[in-house]
Amino acid sequence: MAVPASPGSIAIEAQDLVKRYGVVRAVDGVSFQVRRGEIVGFLGANGAGKTTTLRMLCGLLTPTSGRAIIDGFDIFAQPLEAKARLGYLDEEPFVHPHLTGREFLNYIADLYRMPRGPERQQRMERLLGLFELADRNGELIGAYSHGMKQKIGLASLLIREPSVLLLDEPTNGLDPRSARLVKDLLEELAALGTTVLLSTHILEVAQALCKRVAIIDRGHIVATGTIEELRAQAGSEQASLEDLFLKLTAGPESRELIERLLAPKL
Amino acid sequence: MSESATQVILRAELLGWRHRLLGRGPARLALLGVFLLAAAVFIGGGAFTLGATAGHFLPVARDTILTGGFTSLSVLMLVIGFPTVIATFFVGRELLQLVLAPIRPIDIFVARLLLAMSANLLISAILLMATLGVGVGSGAPLAFFPLAVFLIFVQVLVVTALQAILMSVVLRWVPARLARDVAAAVAGLSGAGFYLAWNISLRQSFSPRTHPDLSNFTSLVNRVEWLPSAWPGHALSAVIAGNTTEAATWVLFSVVLALLVLAMAEILYRRTLLTGLGVFGGPPAIWRRGAAKQAVAVARPGAASPFRAIALKDWLSYRRDIRRLSRMLPAFLFPIGYAFAFLRPSRSITGFWTEVFLVGFISMFMSTALATPSIPSERRGFQLLRMAPMTMAQVIRAKVMLTLPPVLVLTLVFSMVVASVSGSGVAQYAELAVLVLWLGTGFVSIGVSAGAIDPRFDASDDRRAVGIVGTLAGLGGTLGFGLLSVGALALLVFGYAAAQGISQLGPIPATPAVGALMWASGLVLLVGAAAIVIVLLWFANSRLRAWEGAIATV
Repeated sequence: MAVPASPGSIAIEAQDLVKRYGVVRAVDGVSFQVRRGEIVGFLGANGAGKTTTLRMLCGLLTPTSGRAIIDGFDIFAQPLEAKARLGYLDEEPFVHPHLTGREFLNYIADLYRMPRGPERQQRMERLLGLFELADRNGELIGAYSHGMKQKIGLASLLIREPSVLLLDEPTNGLDPRSARLVKDLLEELAALGTTVLLSTHILEVAQALCKRVAIIDRGHIVATGTIEELRAQAGSEQASLEDLFLKLTAGPESRELIERLLAPKL
Repeated sequence: MSESATQVILRAELLGWRHRLLGRGPARLALLGVFLLAAAVFIGGGAFTLGATAGHFLPVARDTILTGGFTSLSVLMLVIGFPTVIATFFVGRELLQLVLAPIRPIDIFVARLLLAMSANLLISAILLMATLGVGVGSGAPLAFFPLAVFLIFVQVLVVTALQAILMSVVLRWVPARLARDVAAAVAGLSGAGFYLAWNISLRQSFSPRTHPDLSNFTSLVNRVEWLPSAWPGHALSAVIAGNTTEAATWVLFSVVLALLVLAMAEILYRRTLLTGLGVFGGPPAIWRRGAAKQAVAVARPGAASPFRAIALKDWLSYRRDIRRLSRMLPAFLFPIGYAFAFLRPSRSITGFWTEVFLVGFISMFMSTALATPSIPSERRGFQLLRMAPMTMAQVIRAKVMLTLPPVLVLTLVFSMVVASVSGSGVAQYAELAVLVLWLGTGFVSIGVSAGAIDPRFDASDDRRAVGIVGTLAGLGGTLGFGLLSVGALALLVFGYAAAQGISQLGPIPATPAVGALMWASGLVLLVGAAAIVIVLLWFANSRLRAWEGAIATV
């Protein structure tokens, strides 16, 4: 049996992950590592392969080839050990619409065999309070707004204190205050040793939170490193993350496209 | 010349249908083609032959047959076609787009009406074939045939418009988020009630006599022949009789009625269009509960159990999901109805064997209704189970264990009540109880396996939650397990009697050796039945472990 990762060791490792759908290679040889306690941004355009990669890392999709290792456990060879340490939040959270928030958290806690009792109860109440869901006592999740579903999804991860978090657009649909709360929370969790791989379109969030980023484009990792390293790679020292992202995932310049669209008809 | 809005809407819908059809893959398309061909030959051909025979040999009953056919078709369409009509007129966020566009409501109504007729037109094909058969059998004039096609189309139009009216009326009293499910439940209950009444009425006609007696049915039709649904039937029988004036009058009545119903449907639909929009297209109806009602549950200390978690979640979800309940209620009518029907066994089989069939039927029916959708009904929540530190075998076991109690309890209650009525002895009670346990466990395991073999987690309705592979595996498994089990029971019961020398086995002597041989054969059949269940469970486990949902859907 593999030993769980120690501080500073590798918590998430993608080893040459490939996912093929027929002739389409959605993910084509993706490899990267995330150290324990690190927050890494996983950036890419729509359809670049972010969600497919995250779903392979958490065991929801079987890779055509390659390995996904969580805290030293191969997610497909030792799934129970890896899954016990992992929390994945989908862009559209997996929830049960006919349960209340509290019932859903209890369901998740039971699935992950968290001992029942006052400690678990207190943690649940704290999380519901933190995400401003405590007063939604009798309301079923199906009636929640998208942002509230996102919050209950996050709470369902945090109630069981996983050591690795894979988050797909966690601030999607959240109001500015809740988005800020999530950002602060992730920083606190990372400081306590939780590893976070964060997929987002909001580059400001990535720039503010992530020590390192990995950029995926058409199934390939095109760059990994700190912002400074990416700037050096791109050869522009003052570039923002947005500039770097656009440069590394090069397409036609948006200004040129807009001009073409709005050009007067002849 | 530019296209009308109705044409544009219809073209987009037809394009969508075409893409959905072609997206099924060649194997599924071929299977669908074979199925449609077989249905056309057997059902269509059967209906035509029946109509032709009746038209030729029962000239006095032609009016009754035609009016009865039209009325039965209307009831059938009203019940079976209702979900399609609701879905077409009131469901779907694309309706919002149509409302926002500069389109007249009448264009939306006409386009939706034509689309909504699809299910009803399919059902009406049976009546069309039977009616054409009556025309051929009775040597009707040529005008009969185009008129039959026209009147059946008009009937479909009227019933579809009537369904739109009913739904528009329902929306006035029932909140939009519940209306679809309430309407579907009412339609389902009415349909199940009609079917059972018809079935039991026919059994009552058949059982005491040696030949079929349709007197109950014909007297019923005679009592309702004044209904507008029977008018096209009167028109067609008048054409056969050569009474042109009477035929023209009934056709006129039918057409005027159709125009009135259509106009009323358009007015009501226009008024209620916004009531249901965007709500029906969303998640299934959810009962809200008062915040004050729910006390904060304090978890009792102890070890957590995923099994208990799934059980509690399923129980809470089931009783709050009005859509699932609305589908389930009509299903529960069937075992009750059949138990009632079986209370009057025919002469050829003994009471005990009637009870055996009752146990088999009810446990099979309940398992199909409860066990088969148990895994697909997890919907997107299934991903939570996949991410949780538990195996798929544990998930299947949990679902089997959770579905078993209601199936066993209901089957036991029904069979014991029937056994008491027919005065069974203690030994037969015990045999029935063992049979309930055996069949219930087998059928539930097969049902859960069928759902796990080919789950459709993206289906919003339990009836579409299992794909064709799962359905076929479930049907095959159920049939095989049921036949082997009942065969084994027969061998065990008769073998015991043979060993005692108290059984009549025809030319075979009733000796202990023959009894032992029958027991051995019975045990072999039991092993075969158990093997079917084990193979299906194994297959279900391997399919679930390998399952991967498309990112877009699950």
